[in-house]
Parts: sequence; structure tokens; C-alpha cells
Amino acid sequence: MKLLPPTLRARTRYLAFEVISQDPVRREDLIRELFSSAGSLLGDVGASECAIRLLAFEGSTGVIRCAHDRTDRTRAVLASISTVKGTRVIIHVLGISGTVRGATIKYLAGVDVFNPKDSHI
Amino acid sequence: MVRSGPYDLNVHCIPESGDTIEEVVAVARRLGYSGIAITNPDSMKQLPFSGNVEGFDILSGVEIRADNASKLHGIVGKYRNKVDIIAVSGGSESINRAAVENPGVDLLVNLNIAQDSGFNHVLAKEASENRVAISFDLGDLIHLKGGSRVQAVTNCRKNLLLIRKYNVPYVLTSNARSCFDMRAPRELAALAALFGMSGEEAMAGLTTIPHSIIARSRPPAGYISEGVQLVYNEADTGNIDEGDR
Repeated sequence: MKLLPPTLRARTRYLAFEVISQDPVRREDLIRELFSSAGSLLGDVGASECAIRLLAFEGSTGVIRCAHDRTDRTRAVLASISTVKGTRVIIHVLGISGTVRGATIKYLAGVDVFNPKDSHI
Repeated sequence: MVRSGPYDLNVHCIPESGDTIEEVVAVARRLGYSGIAITNPDSMKQLPFSGNVEGFDILSGVEIRADNASKLHGIVGKYRNKVDIIAVSGGSESINRAAVENPGVDLLVNLNIAQDSGFNHVLAKEASENRVAISFDLGDLIHLKGGSRVQAVTNCRKNLLLIRKYNVPYVLTSNARSCFDMRAPRELAALAALFGMSGEEAMAGLTTIPHSIIARSRPPAGYISEGVQLVYNEADTGNIDEGDR
């Protein structure tokens, strides 16, 4: 398979995020909820324009890829997720970067798991 | 003292929802807020909680749910000197009208519950004159599905048009019923972008406009009344010529 020349490749952004929830959520459940939320908020056409894809998800943090001019839409999709398989969640976008490496190093390094039920002010 | 970061002026906690104030505050701090206002309904017992917790601003508030307009003014008067933020839960046009005509009201919330938001150009003018802020409750865009969400977005778009035209103050709120209903400021801005609000407008609705509302209920030191300032202080100057007065 030939690689596309760089000028024709889809431009992307990578969103580093954390999931704030009472119980841990599974990757498959998060993917299902992500696409159903994108479908209901933006429709099939809008969701395809966003080109959302969940790359890494481990513990409570992960990276989502989206189209470079649709970061706001993608943020809105993430904000509109309220439950994952019955567990109430907040998806909190920590930062946006042009590369996976950048997103991971800048925003995911040293992020601790946050659970509102056992934290204290 | 108002902090410079974003504020969410419409958050509920125990006893209205199952989450304690500590949980709500912990989540708000994690999401990057500088402060929140706890606006539990007036029918419930208020937690007299207002102040600073390690660099985080907690404002006391009340959400008034009145069934008729005449009662509303009485309830507003009762709470005005007790809490920082007075929100009125909108509904029918008469309630909305009474709220925007009362300068003691800070926020008009829950505009999306009916098919029609009950907000129009007449009310927008009044709200602008009395500096009553209109709240965009973005929690509705998160929790409603299908047709009702379509209606909520439509209402928000209409209200945005009126707000731009008449220069009405507005705020973006999560209208959170629990700590998991809160969203980070940038996420709220992204949701607001769905109905056409620009990034700068959204940031003003999260920072500068809430700051001005808070500054109004927490006057700076030495404030006497609107338009009145202390020119001479006898205690300071000591020897003002009595004959001149």
C-alpha cells in the first residue's frame, strides 16, 4: 500500500483526557458511548467529519484523535457524555496537541486518578 | 474579593442532590474553576456556607421557584441581604418578566424547560436595564435527548440573538444537580459553540460577567451606596471648618 503524500493526509489533533467517575470504566464501554454520543449530537455526517477515534485508554486517562478543525465539536461530544454503562462520568479534556507524543508528555504525565467520592478539600 | 478565573454560578448540592459540598468543590477545582455558587432551591434548608477554601471561592446562593409573580418580589427581598447570588427559576413568561424587572435578581435560570423559552425582546430590554443575567443552562444539552435537546438548542440560539441585540448580561452554567453533572469551562464553551456562541463570548460568560455579578453583591471596602462616595472623613482630617456647613 502506498502512503499518501503529506499534503493529502488528513490533519489531526490529539485530545488528552481523563475520566472522572466513581467506578472505573472499560475501554469498550467508553468507545460505544463515545460513538453513540457523537451520533446523537452531530448525526452520522457530523460524526464522520469529526473522525473521532479512541487511541489509548488506560486507567482513567487516554487520548482521542479527531480532525484538526473539529476540536470544538469533539469537545462538545465528550462533554455530552454523562454515563458509561450506568456509571456517571465526567470526561475532562486536559489538553490538545498535534501529536500523540506531545499530548501524552504534556498533559498525561503525572496525572493521578481522581475520584470525587474519596477526595477531601 | 473576586478571583480571576472562571465561575459556575448555578450548582446544586445536598440536600437537593446526593453530593456533599466537599465533593462538588473537589470536582470544580479539578475542572479548573476559581469558584462556584451553591444555588439550592429556597424551599429547602440553606447551608450557610460562603467563603474561601484554600484559594477556592464558594458563594452562597438561592434558586427561587415561585408559582406567581407577586410572591417572587417578596422572596427576593427576603434573601437579598442573606445570600450572594439570587437565581430565579424561569418558567412562564409572567415569572420571567417579574424576574427581569427586579434589579435584586442576579440570574434567570432554567429557561429551557418549556417548548418556548418564555424570553423575548421585551424581556431582553428589561433584563439589560436591570442587569439581570440570563443563564445558558448547558446541562440541558448534556442530559436531554432527541426532540427536547433539539428544542433546547433552538431556544439557546434564539436567546443568544436577543442577548447580542440588547446587550443583556449572560452566564454559562452547568446547572449541575450532582458533582458528575459539572463540566470544565472549555467544555461548556464548546457546548455553547453548538448554538453559535463565539469563544470570546463564552469566556466572558464564564469569567468577566460572573465577576461583575459577584462584585455587585460583595461591594468593595468603603462602599456606601450606588453613586455615593466618601469625600471627607472627619476622623482622618480632624480639623474641617465647621462654619462652612
